[in-house]
Amino acid sequence: LLMAFRDVNARRHIGLQQLSSLALAGRTLLGPVKSCKFIVDESTNQSTLICSAVRLIESLDLTSAAGQLLNETIQAQNKEFKTGMSTLLFLVGAWSNAIVECLQQNVPVSAIVSVMSEGLNSCCERVQCLQISIHDVNKELCSSSVRPNASKSKTCQIGCNSLPNSHLFLYFQKEISVPEVIPINSCSHQDDDCNFNKHLVSPLAGFGSVATLVKPAGDKSTSVISGNGVATSSCSKQKLTHSRYFSTLGKSLFSSQQGNFQGYLLGPSADSCEYCGLGHLAMALSHGNEPSMKLLQSIVAYQQERAEHSGSSQLNVAEIVTCCLLGLPESYSCASPGFVTLLSPEQVTVIKYFEDKLLRILLIDGDLTEQYRHLGFNRPCNVRTIVEHPSLQEGDLWLSSMLDNLINFEVNLVLVKGNVCENLRERCIANSILLVSSVTWNVLCAFGEVTGAQPVTYLTQLNASCVGSGAQVELWKASDGRATDLGELVPVRIKARGIPLLTAVLTTSVASKMQLIEDQFWTLVYRLHHALNDKKVFLGGGAVELLCLSHIQMLVEQPLQPANQNAVKEFHNPWLAASATEYKSVVLQALASGWKQYLLVVMCNTTKAASELEVATSVDHHLRKAADCGCPSAYILKEFRRGDLLRDGAGPFADHREGLRVYDNVTAKTEAWRRALDLVLLVLQTDAEIVTGPRKNQLLNSHVSSEFMFL
Amino acid sequence: MSRLEAKKPPLFITEPLTKDGVSQSLSLLSRILKSCYGPAGRLKQLHNGVGGCVCTTSQSSAILGRLPVSHPVLGVLMASVQNHISRFSDCGLFTAILCCSLIENFKSLNVTSCTVIKISKHLLSLCMDYLKSEACGCRVAVDFSSVETLLCLVRSVLRSKPACMLNKTEVDHLTTLILKAFLFTVPCHAESNAVLGKCVIVPVKGRRVMDSTVLPGLLIETPEIQLAKPLTVKRTCSNMIKMALFCVSMSGDSFNPEEGTITVHHGISLEMSELNQLLNVGKQLVNDEVGLVVCQKVIHPSLKQYLKENGVIAVDRAGLSLMEPLSRMTGSKPIASIRLLSPSCYGSLKDLCTESFASKNFVHLIPDDTVVCSLILCNRNETAWDELKRACETAEHVLQLTLKEPLALLGGGCTETHLASYIRHKSCSLSTSSFEDIDCSRTQYQLVADGFCRSLESVAHSLNHDDGEILTDMVYGHCWFVPPGFPPVSSWPDLVSKCGCGINGNGENLKWRLLQGQFCSPVIQDCPKDPLVKVADFLTLDCYAAKCSGLQVALETANLILDLLYVIKDQN
Repeated sequence: LLMAFRDVNARRHIGLQQLSSLALAGRTLLGPVKSCKFIVDESTNQSTLICSAVRLIESLDLTSAAGQLLNETIQAQNKEFKTGMSTLLFLVGAWSNAIVECLQQNVPVSAIVSVMSEGLNSCCERVQCLQISIHDVNKELCSSSVRPNASKSKTCQIGCNSLPNSHLFLYFQKEISVPEVIPINSCSHQDDDCNFNKHLVSPLAGFGSVATLVKPAGDKSTSVISGNGVATSSCSKQKLTHSRYFSTLGKSLFSSQQGNFQGYLLGPSADSCEYCGLGHLAMALSHGNEPSMKLLQSIVAYQQERAEHSGSSQLNVAEIVTCCLLGLPESYSCASPGFVTLLSPEQVTVIKYFEDKLLRILLIDGDLTEQYRHLGFNRPCNVRTIVEHPSLQEGDLWLSSMLDNLINFEVNLVLVKGNVCENLRERCIANSILLVSSVTWNVLCAFGEVTGAQPVTYLTQLNASCVGSGAQVELWKASDGRATDLGELVPVRIKARGIPLLTAVLTTSVASKMQLIEDQFWTLVYRLHHALNDKKVFLGGGAVELLCLSHIQMLVEQPLQPANQNAVKEFHNPWLAASATEYKSVVLQALASGWKQYLLVVMCNTTKAASELEVATSVDHHLRKAADCGCPSAYILKEFRRGDLLRDGAGPFADHREGLRVYDNVTAKTEAWRRALDLVLLVLQTDAEIVTGPRKNQLLNSHVSSEFMFL
Repeated sequence: MSRLEAKKPPLFITEPLTKDGVSQSLSLLSRILKSCYGPAGRLKQLHNGVGGCVCTTSQSSAILGRLPVSHPVLGVLMASVQNHISRFSDCGLFTAILCCSLIENFKSLNVTSCTVIKISKHLLSLCMDYLKSEACGCRVAVDFSSVETLLCLVRSVLRSKPACMLNKTEVDHLTTLILKAFLFTVPCHAESNAVLGKCVIVPVKGRRVMDSTVLPGLLIETPEIQLAKPLTVKRTCSNMIKMALFCVSMSGDSFNPEEGTITVHHGISLEMSELNQLLNVGKQLVNDEVGLVVCQKVIHPSLKQYLKENGVIAVDRAGLSLMEPLSRMTGSKPIASIRLLSPSCYGSLKDLCTESFASKNFVHLIPDDTVVCSLILCNRNETAWDELKRACETAEHVLQLTLKEPLALLGGGCTETHLASYIRHKSCSLSTSSFEDIDCSRTQYQLVADGFCRSLESVAHSLNHDDGEILTDMVYGHCWFVPPGFPPVSSWPDLVSKCGCGINGNGENLKWRLLQGQFCSPVIQDCPKDPLVKVADFLTLDCYAAKCSGLQVALETANLILDLLYVIKDQN
């Protein structure tokens, strides 16, 4: 074994150059308006459509050490936050470039490292004043939604065009929290989420707008959903499309009565300010991704309703799963309570047989095959079995004993975490037992919780206490009852009374967009999740970056402190203290250039600005005014509230929705910055690669062999 | 048909050090190691070149462990440094750099190697005597009644590892945590043969460093546990939890012997009989009122189910590394068989609860006596986490060594320059009889002593990685760094504020001179003084035991390598 050793050229740092060229590919993925990319594999001619930094990095060939570290960093951000990866990738590139320029000006590495990381720390502290607590955001968003100019907006008209003025609209909101309700009919169906006890809010009936009080049977909570559809007492099933901003399909008032509305199509209600705030918050965090936002709003509505108005504004991510249906138009995406999955057509007969029945359910947390053994079980290799009567086949024995087990305990439905033996599946279909494979652990847990089933690993473990009851299965239907014949597989909905689980059914007729839609949905879910966890959000739309720029400007202009003074009560750092002050302004400018580039590219991507120059002028204009006014954060906050901040780039909403607020996650954003800088500084401080392993000859013959030394 | 091949004769290499290849490799190794040294050290990316994981590091333990070297001379050097690291964790780079420098410096002298060895041994003894004496000007006593010096020691270790990517606040946070974890491991009631407990590092990668924390007791990862439900544990009459600890696999496959074949009749299932055996164990555990069963390996799902139904909490896959601390903490003896179960093996636990960090779920075993603790260590990415883990382990070890010998040496290059000026002063004032004892001339002694001092100074020199100057003062013999970018004629007092370790300020006229490491004329000077103030809050301190050992290992290894006459290589 030999070791090869490569010096990294200090002036033209190879690692930094690699980072910057990798990051260049991600420029168009930045900001609310992204351009997708096709990644083509030349060897197979297959291509993938990508629209996020994670997928980009996944599809690139990253053999260099710097590329490998970049991949690791992006994956770590993705695992932790599911958002901020494009920002991270972009800043890695921008800061790498800026640092290479510093190196060319002979700035010592240690000065770059210390000034940059101190600078970022200082900026992160400074921008804390642009954080707004979730509570305040809700208040603000709710009040802004009833401002006169808000009712002018396009989508809002659908929701409240019948209201004479915004005061009434406000009145409507207020009234609804203590509504006078008239029971119309009560349903005796067992299905809690399919059929609601209908109530009508009488004072508003005359306006043609309605609020429906929804009371799920068996659920003590009372929740109110306001809608723009007219509820009539004879209508036992009704579609609820009642966002004041959006109508799910954008149909006219009365059309919503038609079709087969399954009732479980959910929409945000407006029973309290807190509530509608979450819907608004989702919108403010969606950065223009409307389909995902609508889905999320209905999920939030459902979870809030379940939370019995306990005031907990948490979003439970573990209770959300996705199901991708290829072949339906995108407008069919919706949230369904329970678990929606795809099954083979043979099993459909069983499902039809099961309809309207309460099923006994079993959960298996392994595979359902004869060969499967739990993890950590080592198969014996030295056991020989003597068979005296070779008439009975082993496999049949297993099949029939498993089937007997299931029949004995009257199991109707088995959810299996892993794979299922095909023969067993067939035998089960014949006996009207449904086996569903590849069910994730959190789905199993959700069903275990509400049905009382205990997950087991083997069918031999089965006893009466393992089997749960009360599960239901039905074919999943699209909102208009359209046949969902998707070729091979049929979507099926499995549910149980009171199950907290929700499936976001994502539909598209373009196969290559499926992944993209799913990624975008999860990104938004996690943005809201993190916003609620952080209990605060950043002002969006470039406000934070702008304040960073203004803060750095101030740091640069600050009189340099003599080295002797700042070393008083601090841990002594003889290498850095003095030299850092010497190069401070150059390095700080490099740090600022990252955010400046970020703003320019975001604005240009939204195509609201004609050129980078135009944006740069606008940014400089704001910076000057911020500096002039003495308190940059107050200026930025004021401009943000006026909606004037870099308005030519406020995203796709800018044209038709004035006063729309855009917010960002706090931790995800600052962490993306920190991770980006950490990576760049890590690569910057690296002066050599050490290649270990038995590849000496390969290295010797390669075109870079002259760069290596061998020990 | 067998074929006999004639044995090749062994290869003889005479005076290996004079060969070009060796000295080139040696200087390359020395260059690599010097470039890694200190808080501003440059990092190395270790990888296999085909897309494997990349280790970014500047620590000797990571680099030396993965550097395969071809030449036996380098092999000797690396083996002895690695041996030092395994015993002390700290000062590996110091040892290696000093050793390389000594070899280079001594080799260039026109003195026979046996004389060099004799003289250098004498020099080493001078150093060691000085370091052990009360008068030593570069050591400080560690006062365990206050945390300040201990914090300095830990902080110095963390700060010297730039690949951990920590900022000031993070360094401070981790320093406190490491010290806290260490204090947990010190038994409260010290007996004559007190043994330190253990701190187990729990990896949580991808999180912020500031999310790291220390908990008394142990954490075992349990992916399937549901956090929402509180744990209900069976307790004994004394309100403790009885616990059984298994180190044998309970997955039901232990009928699998190493060799031979088992023949069974159809219809007889070994698996079933094994499972029945396991269920019998389960029955006994339930009868014995055990509340918690922990298994190093896997527990059969059926046994788990049985235990759960009977109110016993079962935790499997605890892993080998947790066994010793688990056994220590709970007093339970690891059970190595599922056929013999003695009640005397059971241990006890004060409490049990669930914890969650990042997306991982754990059960938290809380003991009565907290000599075992868990450091939940977070860092943003994999490569930085690995580096941080090594750094934390080093810091923990340094604290343990310091507890044994409550002394610390000044860091930041000051100990090296101070020792060098002490030796320079001492070698001038040596009596003639001493030279007779060593059997050398005064000139020879002076030459070797100068080489020795230059080697020490070159270690201090390698702390600097930018183009700035390095100075030493004539009063205390400490090390001073001039920031890069200033003309050489600048007035030094304006540029330097503090010495490397941070103990001296530039208040008085300290008569600085350039420290040029290699080829400077010998300097005659007075014995360096002891700094007046010895207690300062923010000092860079090194581990006393590790540095003393490093000095000895470096010199002895250098002597060994200088003494090499032949390398005999078996070519078969």
